[in-house]
Amino acid sequence: MQNFRNSRLYGFMILAVMVLFFYSLFKFLTPSNFGSPANLYSYFQSSIIYSVGGCGLYFIVVMGLFDFAVGANIVLSSIVGVILSEKLGYFGFIVGCLGCGTLIGIIIGLLYNKLNVPSMIVTVGLMLVLESVAVFAAGGVKQTLAPELRFFSGAPGNIILAAFAFALMWFILNYTRIGTYCNAIGSNEFTAKNMGIDVKKYKLIGFALLHFFVGIMAILTVSYGTTMTALTGMSTMSRNFQPLMGTFFGVAFRKYGTPISAIVIGEFIIAIIFNGFVALGAPTTIQNVVTGAALLAIVTLTARGGRGSVVK
Amino acid sequence: MTTGNVLLNAEHIDKRFGITHAVNDVSLTVNAGEIRALIGENGSGKSTFCQMLCGIYTIGGGTFTLDGQPVNVRNQVEANNIGISIIVQEMGTLSGLTVAENIFLGHEDPFMHRGIKDTRSMIREAQKLLDAYGFNGIRAGAMIDSYNFEDRKLVEIVKATYMKPKILIVDETTTALSQNGRLELYKIMDSVRADGRSVIFISHDLNEILTHCDTISILRDGEYIDTVNSKDIDEDGLKRLMVGREIGSAYYRTDYGKEISSEVVLSVKDVTVPNQISDVSFDLHRGEILGFGGLSECGMHEVGKAVFGASLDRIGTVVLADGTEINDIPSAIKHSIAYASKDRDNESIILNESIRNNIVLPSLDDLAESHILKSGKLNRFAQEFADKMQTKMQGIHQFVSDLSGGNKQKVVLARWLGKGSDILVLDSPTRGIDVKVKQAIYALMQELTAQGKSIIMISEEIPELLGMSDRILIMKDGKINGTFLRSPQLNEEDLIAKMV
Repeated sequence: MQNFRNSRLYGFMILAVMVLFFYSLFKFLTPSNFGSPANLYSYFQSSIIYSVGGCGLYFIVVMGLFDFAVGANIVLSSIVGVILSEKLGYFGFIVGCLGCGTLIGIIIGLLYNKLNVPSMIVTVGLMLVLESVAVFAAGGVKQTLAPELRFFSGAPGNIILAAFAFALMWFILNYTRIGTYCNAIGSNEFTAKNMGIDVKKYKLIGFALLHFFVGIMAILTVSYGTTMTALTGMSTMSRNFQPLMGTFFGVAFRKYGTPISAIVIGEFIIAIIFNGFVALGAPTTIQNVVTGAALLAIVTLTARGGRGSVVK
Repeated sequence: MTTGNVLLNAEHIDKRFGITHAVNDVSLTVNAGEIRALIGENGSGKSTFCQMLCGIYTIGGGTFTLDGQPVNVRNQVEANNIGISIIVQEMGTLSGLTVAENIFLGHEDPFMHRGIKDTRSMIREAQKLLDAYGFNGIRAGAMIDSYNFEDRKLVEIVKATYMKPKILIVDETTTALSQNGRLELYKIMDSVRADGRSVIFISHDLNEILTHCDTISILRDGEYIDTVNSKDIDEDGLKRLMVGREIGSAYYRTDYGKEISSEVVLSVKDVTVPNQISDVSFDLHRGEILGFGGLSECGMHEVGKAVFGASLDRIGTVVLADGTEINDIPSAIKHSIAYASKDRDNESIILNESIRNNIVLPSLDDLAESHILKSGKLNRFAQEFADKMQTKMQGIHQFVSDLSGGNKQKVVLARWLGKGSDILVLDSPTRGIDVKVKQAIYALMQELTAQGKSIIMISEEIPELLGMSDRILIMKDGKINGTFLRSPQLNEEDLIAKMV
């Protein structure tokens, strides 16, 4: 029968202990530069952008899929949103980001189903295409969001939008078939098919949902940074990993029934670690070391195969 | 046995998997209000028959009729909708979902209102069901992952029976349940019968079958043999019906009385693999074919892995005659031990590689000249042993994925022949293989033992064990439960008595 170690409360407790541990560690090492309430609020605001992407990625990662085109779509959707905002204001900005993001997700899902090749290959190919499309759409010029359209650049706009995204994910996971079916497909695709689930349809929905959330992330990203520059040569690749780390937290804590909280708190923990190193005066490159180490640690914690299992 | 109201009528049901004729023209009826056992040896087609009925496999041929309506379902949900449900042998619940989501998976419609799922109502309904079944300790809102295998089986029982199916299939479920869980399941089966519905019950436990079933249908090698009343037969009678075939002697050994060499080439002492085998000890003699038999999950397949150093967390020792301990696969191969897995495609063969590269793989060190591999030499080597095994191929550069099951097995054996292994562990060496290739493999085994090589043959086929082994060890629940010497008097009933 179920015990405390499998309960939601236990999951929250682990997350809380991790937050406290890293906070205390950096607070101890650099008490004056790190961890004031204002600082923590700032860390949280920067982490929620990635949390939104992490929520989107959750839909496909639980099905055993992967997407390298997230970063490229953030750039493209931001640029499309900014261009449309010049004529249509907030409406153009929001519809541009969400519409472009979702459309790309549908295209990826359709291609994945049609080509029948691994999602990683489809999305790497699409990443290269999207980067080029973004350069073409931007006309080689840096796109700047008009100052009067920056409601989402800071609190409360960014928090309201992120809260909307988290609530939407919570709703989808708990109150639609999509959440149940994504989990079922990830658990055993063959059995899921036997249960009458249209696996291809729900994978397509998964990609569409992921990139709808990427659209939200694009709104937050370009609002926060105010400009977006399109670059080619896989330069968008690095944007894929930070949201993914949150997703891995979500997948790991799914067994406690707390995936969304785990994504949000997980991204917050990573923000604490980053900012802790910055407060310590570590060079900027240390952030890459931290990103890599954190990714390895989280993947080891969440996705490591059992003894004797084949890992590729 | 067609008296009473026929609920299910199966006519000429047929299914093939490649060359394996899993279900061969089976016709039978199940009456309303009865518990029908379906029994037979491993591979007799029981599970395949039932899985066609409930949409897990497509029907290869013939028709099922339930309550006068033809059955042609594509998945379990469609089967549920017409009144057929199944509790499967393996884990039938899905991780990552709550207990309630598992119970109503594919049947969410009553809880959907304009696309929105009424999760609370689903959990409430699932909890009511769990409570009504007496499984109060299971919380409907909890993740299924937080429960153990038996609790998950109980959830599966609820899932399969709450919609009151006309036919409930219970496929070798009781082995996963404790005594209490079994009693609950028997109660549910009895209530299905009392309602005028029916149960198809698959089990290897003959005592359980005779106690809880009304009638028993026997399948053998995919064919329907007979249906009998439980009260008219005993365990021995059932065993006779299960194994009553003539043992063909055309390709098995005909020699009896051969003395087993006293020279021990391999000693296995107190080998335990957690949750698989326990305290297994035996000696393998020079020139001997040592057969291992038992039911599928008895642990015999793990013995092969343990000898080859492929088991995880193995305790105990596997020692060669010269005192060398075998603890991992490289040392096994280095010391002339070969292993052909039951799961040929996943564990023995590299499907997307050529026949040549599959054959030369363990012998590359021997074939290299100053660390350089010469293509001509590899080709000649592969050709020699592929020819020796009479592999049907377009050439040694053909991909193994293009070959039939029998020829894939020939490639596996050619590989170890080429390596010159002295001890061969062959797990289900003739699984899914036609008679002609079987004959060739048996001849090769005799040739190898005549050369002084020793073979451990793990097999789910009793005639194969009787026909080829010098000595047979029967396993049950992870332990050796009986030892038999080759003898013309030894029969299938003797072995089965130690298996079940």
